[in-house]
Amino acid sequence: MTVPTQRKAPAPAASATTGAVPAPVTPSLTSDQLRHLAETHGLKQMGVRPPLREYVRNLWARRQFTAVLARSKAYARNQTNYLGQLWSLLNPALNALTYVLIFGFILNTTKGVGNHIAFIVLGTFTFRFFDQSVAAGAKSISSNMNLVRSVHFPRAVLPTSSVMSELFTALPATIVMLAFAFGSGFLPDMDSIPITWQWLLLVPAMALLWLFNIGCAFFVARWVAITPDLNNVIPFVMRLLMYGSGVIWTISTHVTNEFWLKILDYQPVAVFLYLVRSCVMDDPTIPQSPARWVWGAIWAVSFIVVGFLLFWRGEERYGRD
Amino acid sequence: MTDAEIDYEVDAEDLTLAAPREIRDDAKPSLVVDDLHITYRVFGGKKLGTATQRKDSFVRKLLNQGRSHVGSVSEVKAVKGISFVARHGESIGIVGINGSGKSTLLRAVAGLIPPTKGSVYVAGEPSLLGVNAVLMGDLSGERNIMIGGLALGMTPQEVEASFDDIVDFSGIGNFVYLPMKAYSSGMAARLRFAISASAVPDILMIDEALATGDATFRNKSTERINKIREQAGTVFLVSHSLATVEAMCSRVLWVHQGELVADGPAKEVCAQYKAFVAKSRAKS
Repeated sequence: MTVPTQRKAPAPAASATTGAVPAPVTPSLTSDQLRHLAETHGLKQMGVRPPLREYVRNLWARRQFTAVLARSKAYARNQTNYLGQLWSLLNPALNALTYVLIFGFILNTTKGVGNHIAFIVLGTFTFRFFDQSVAAGAKSISSNMNLVRSVHFPRAVLPTSSVMSELFTALPATIVMLAFAFGSGFLPDMDSIPITWQWLLLVPAMALLWLFNIGCAFFVARWVAITPDLNNVIPFVMRLLMYGSGVIWTISTHVTNEFWLKILDYQPVAVFLYLVRSCVMDDPTIPQSPARWVWGAIWAVSFIVVGFLLFWRGEERYGRD
Repeated sequence: MTDAEIDYEVDAEDLTLAAPREIRDDAKPSLVVDDLHITYRVFGGKKLGTATQRKDSFVRKLLNQGRSHVGSVSEVKAVKGISFVARHGESIGIVGINGSGKSTLLRAVAGLIPPTKGSVYVAGEPSLLGVNAVLMGDLSGERNIMIGGLALGMTPQEVEASFDDIVDFSGIGNFVYLPMKAYSSGMAARLRFAISASAVPDILMIDEALATGDATFRNKSTERINKIREQAGTVFLVSHSLATVEAMCSRVLWVHQGELVADGPAKEVCAQYKAFVAKSRAKS
């Protein structure tokens, strides 16, 4: 098919001498003709949302990019200090010390738990991983705008790699967390924390939490990219969740209302806290519970699937602001 | 736009550029742009209107005061309805004054900014080669080479294979192991250019890339661009230097205030544009 190229009839003589801006060029082909031309030569439309299957394939093709981006960011976080990467251990250790001091010796908010230092350290560290993941996910588009504006790739890479970067930060923190939990068992008045085969279950528990975090990151990444104001609301939602998940107190001994007890016990964050604690602690009030594992899996899978779909549906809007 | 545009003149005698190739009208199209509109949402900018306020009642003044600090979102229409067809083997220059929408047009065509209205159809994967392509300042040059290469769609093995080549080409030496925020702006620009020039795309878009670095580096980059140009299907070049545009391009688009005001052979459009620049210079 031969179509005349769209070039303006040569009338430059006048404006070349006067220096006036010429009138806008009127296209010689209509939209339909242009689309037809593009289709007959097999051109691909840019800046539109690709079909789901293709999007997932592209995302999978960029998995190494995602991982490298995440690792580099987690590494860069501690590089601005003299002690460098040592802070990835020192930071959680100081954190744990604070909680031990306040809640281990001064306040008592965890009635009925045999070792409340372990209870609180496990709770705060696990919640921190969730909290930081959501915060990083919310900023994942705006903080990488330079990358978005210069290279073309499925934007779902950004929330995924932000949460992966938090995972890389959480891994050394988990080791510190376990050390503190184990050590607290030797204190007077604290139940001992034996190292059992159940500790291995921590791996699937963290994996489920990680998937759940990626799902949440997809939600907030889209919301904040389109309405930046929501980023101001997230810290309050996080605080609400912190108090509503029994991070530093036991839900069962402080909530008497049957209805609220059910909700607080089975909402996702509380379920993941329970799973982590039941894996590490050998406490009669926190036994292994198959029902909670099922709940954890349901929450993780449903958040990541729905979150991913929601994020994908906004793909054509990221990067325009 | 977050990045500053670099205004730069290249001396014509510096340039040893391959002459543009002749294109027949029936060559296969590689890019179709149909009525493209780009509107940015910009937060945080609103005219506070202190200069033009009339004498209002106290209450109204208070209300106006309040309103002018809430919801400060404005829209910037950067591209307002541009259509054109590019063909395989063409090199197209885009000229226009600062803020006329050249870079936005280029980014939209590269798929980096989704169109507000209209459509862009492309053959293959376009790649934007720009000194403005900012990577991550906190990370070392080494990590940035890996990230940049992977983002361009190379495999880790390919990036590692071309690592020495990229470092050599950018000429930053051992600085590659320091974080990029420690680089001079010239060094950072050279590294970015070297990274983005390591892959050969189907459609190459160059945004002021010739304005990078000192005379030696400019000659090197011109050579590299020529090499890529021979392999890439279609080339777009945004530059403020008419000498570069005329030497490299067969066809020129003149963008003014987001509209396409001229589209034709390089010589004619450049002459028109020159006359326009001369006239606005005389005015000011």
